[in-house]
Amino acid sequence: MKYPKIAYRNGKRYFYRFSLVQRVQHVILFTTVITLSLTGFPLRYYDQPWAEPLYNFMGGIEVAPWIHRIAGLILLALFVFHTGYWIYLFFKNRIGRLRRENQLTMRNAIREFFSQEMIPNAKDGRDLVDMFKYLLYFTNRPPRYDRISWKEKFDYFAPYWGIPILGPAGAALWFRDEITHYVPGIVLNAFYIMHTDEALLAALFLFFVHWYNVHYSPEKFPLGTVFLTGYLSESDMIHEHYAEYVRTMKEQGLEHEIKPQGHH
Amino acid sequence: MKNIILILGFALLSNLGVSGEKVFASDELNCVLCHKHRGLSRVDENGEFRLFFINEKMVKKGPHSKVKCIDCHRDIDEIPHKPAEKVDCTVECHLEEPSSKQKFTHKPVSEVLSKSVHSKYDAEGNLKELAVKYPDDYPDCKDCHEQPLYRPLSFFKGHAAGISERGLSRCKSCHTKGDFAESFYAHVTSRLQKMRSPKEIVGICARCHGDPQFQKRHELDAVVTSYMETFHGKAVHFGSEAAPDCVDCHVVSGESVHFIEGQDSPTSSVAKGNVATTCRTSECHADAGENIAGYQVHVTYDKDKYPLQHYMLKFFTALMAAVLYFFVIIIFLELLRRLFPNFSFTKSSGADEQGH
Amino acid sequence: MLGAVRKTIYILYTIALMVFTVWYANFIYPIIFAHSDSKHAEVVDAQEQGKTEEEQMFEKFLREQGETSTTDLGYMVVKEQYVKGHFHHVGMTIEPDTSNACIKCHGAVPHDKAKTIRGFLNMHAFFLSCELCHIPPKEGQPKWDFRWYDKADGEVVSNPPGLVTTEIDKYGNYGAKISLGVHQDGTFRFINSKKERDFVDEYLKKKDLLGEMEQSKMKKVIHRKVAEKPILCEECHTEDKEPYLPFAELGYPPRRISALTSTEVVGMVKKYRKFYIPNFLMQDEKSDDSKMNKAKEETGSL
Repeated sequence: MKYPKIAYRNGKRYFYRFSLVQRVQHVILFTTVITLSLTGFPLRYYDQPWAEPLYNFMGGIEVAPWIHRIAGLILLALFVFHTGYWIYLFFKNRIGRLRRENQLTMRNAIREFFSQEMIPNAKDGRDLVDMFKYLLYFTNRPPRYDRISWKEKFDYFAPYWGIPILGPAGAALWFRDEITHYVPGIVLNAFYIMHTDEALLAALFLFFVHWYNVHYSPEKFPLGTVFLTGYLSESDMIHEHYAEYVRTMKEQGLEHEIKPQGHH
Repeated sequence: MKNIILILGFALLSNLGVSGEKVFASDELNCVLCHKHRGLSRVDENGEFRLFFINEKMVKKGPHSKVKCIDCHRDIDEIPHKPAEKVDCTVECHLEEPSSKQKFTHKPVSEVLSKSVHSKYDAEGNLKELAVKYPDDYPDCKDCHEQPLYRPLSFFKGHAAGISERGLSRCKSCHTKGDFAESFYAHVTSRLQKMRSPKEIVGICARCHGDPQFQKRHELDAVVTSYMETFHGKAVHFGSEAAPDCVDCHVVSGESVHFIEGQDSPTSSVAKGNVATTCRTSECHADAGENIAGYQVHVTYDKDKYPLQHYMLKFFTALMAAVLYFFVIIIFLELLRRLFPNFSFTKSSGADEQGH
Repeated sequence: MLGAVRKTIYILYTIALMVFTVWYANFIYPIIFAHSDSKHAEVVDAQEQGKTEEEQMFEKFLREQGETSTTDLGYMVVKEQYVKGHFHHVGMTIEPDTSNACIKCHGAVPHDKAKTIRGFLNMHAFFLSCELCHIPPKEGQPKWDFRWYDKADGEVVSNPPGLVTTEIDKYGNYGAKISLGVHQDGTFRFINSKKERDFVDEYLKKKDLLGEMEQSKMKKVIHRKVAEKPILCEECHTEDKEPYLPFAELGYPPRRISALTSTEVVGMVKKYRKFYIPNFLMQDEKSDDSKMNKAKEETGSL
């Protein structure tokens, strides 16, 4: 499926960001994460007044643990799929091109790896400095993020690091009897802390920082639609990805229509 | 002699039945004439609230419904009576224990208790040092037991709580007299499960073991808090009957539940060498490996006792604080920036300048 | 115009979000540092701290008050007040009398002096207000009017339906008490009504402003209506004369009235009167000192 870089709806420009496969992955990710939170946190905060009604609503002690395990399995499967999907795209797009161009060396392959849009790079460091300069009033020029800003990379790697910590730990606690044949019992203690504390970090991060970025923030409220449509509006694009905006406009021959990175 | 006449006279009076209210079987002296009043109470010399109210409905719900008031309150020999003495649970009552045909008594229980960690006396029969200092910290019957109540079960068609009327009707086709069938049914089915819910057991132990002052006096860890952090504790909190409470792990399987020993006793269920066996009972982690004994239940995150957990907690706390406060600060600054979009200390870099 | 409104909303929303952010920073603090905080809380043994027995008791009462116990029998859940060392199940929870002015100082279990009958007196205090026995009508004054009042707010309620039921857990637990009052300008008014309660509250709040002499004076004024000789048991539990309390009017069914005035109860009262009721309740002339001594001499009690 080919996505145009710029789509027009009602005479307005929309910029391509996420393919359908990616959007579906995101839906699976957030449904399972919310389900896991709703069936997990009442246990961690069992003594809070909301815990018992919520847990009973989620099926109580007989059912909720199974919902939690199934949601966890789906999330783990998504993680595996996503990693495969990512490796597939890397080989198809990057390594394939190198091979076609007869440029396939270890050095080039590594360079290609680090030039992928999700991998943090030196520009992120410069953006971070720019951002602090802007936030602390040393300049009134906002940072000019490229296709994926450092914040989005953080948002991306938070679950990508979180799932391999949470998932296997959760599975080990699920199959506690079986694994005690192979590992010392104290590993279960470690897994318990990993599972619950990492989950807490993820929840506190997602439901505030991520939701701020896509729900609460003044430009987005009540919600940004990019996770549904895959396309970002021109004003959001200018606000959040000015470097990419300018590049895309130039690529599309719309140089003269580039808008300044003004304020809201 | 005067007392007997009083009792007889009173029994006679009460049997006149002027009040027309039911008198329950074990109360042949009509003690409830006065004791049915909810407010019958006083505050004693130690500032303790003493309640003399008897709820007949509750008495009838447990095994003690078969025992007469004076079977336990033996010193009461006249009405009106003087302050009753403390009840001695180890006396023999008029009930006959069916298997031995002997008079029933709780004496064996008290003997077991006297060998347990909860006894005031050590193995040689000497008063423990701490028991001299804090005698109230060692439990007697009433500290853990209220009047027992049946928790009958129905298995007639599927499982449910309570008495199955249809199941009971089978009993009653032969055992017709009195409430024998009802109480026998309730007694047996109650004993097929735990008479008290796991949550209640934890609450009972927590009355002492959850008190920080008590923990300090006896140099014990906050075992209730740490237990409630385990999945065992959480499952029990949300009403699981299957998850283990304190007694399930701290009593050697097959022994009287009153026989709880300290960790340092070699026969204790939680002694180093016995933990795996305790965990791997048929109802619990039957398929687990020997290593399950290494799982630490009562983790306090103390640096010396639980270094792994202590440092993991430190790590995650630091990670959480760093990540979350970093972003909270950025979000706050971003919002603040929106209120003053054009302000800046330096004029040189214009906002209108286009990117490259 | 529309632009200005939009801009104002935008700014207000941004400020609201900033407040939310600050709230969140505050909210996550205890969550992140939950464990480290509680572990460092140092517990000091009260005994080692050199606290007096009374101080320790006070702390204990503060801790224990309002404790409840829950017994889950599967087919029913019993919720009740937890009374330490109390073996028998209460089987119910009780609403406290938050409206009576006397209770604010004297508590809900006030009777202690007459050792033999204090339990009975406290039992009556459970459904009779203090003034019912302790403020009899003055000589020549017309008889009081009696009504039930709600334990929670002190307002008049109709006769409790619990009086008629035979169910044990409703017996004597009506959420209401009987008190007395007068008809003023055609409407009924408790003599211990909201006015009096508010006044006692006010007094308790400001009592330290009074000098020691004035405090004593004030106490005298508050207790002015309280009679030396209260209404005695047999004035209600009587077979041969009209009881002090109009049971029927207060909603007692004939069955209960005959029980209250039966040989059973009246006989019991007589027995207590003969053997146990302290003399100070019988003889008005005795001086205060001898009353106390008499009371102390009594032995048998509940």
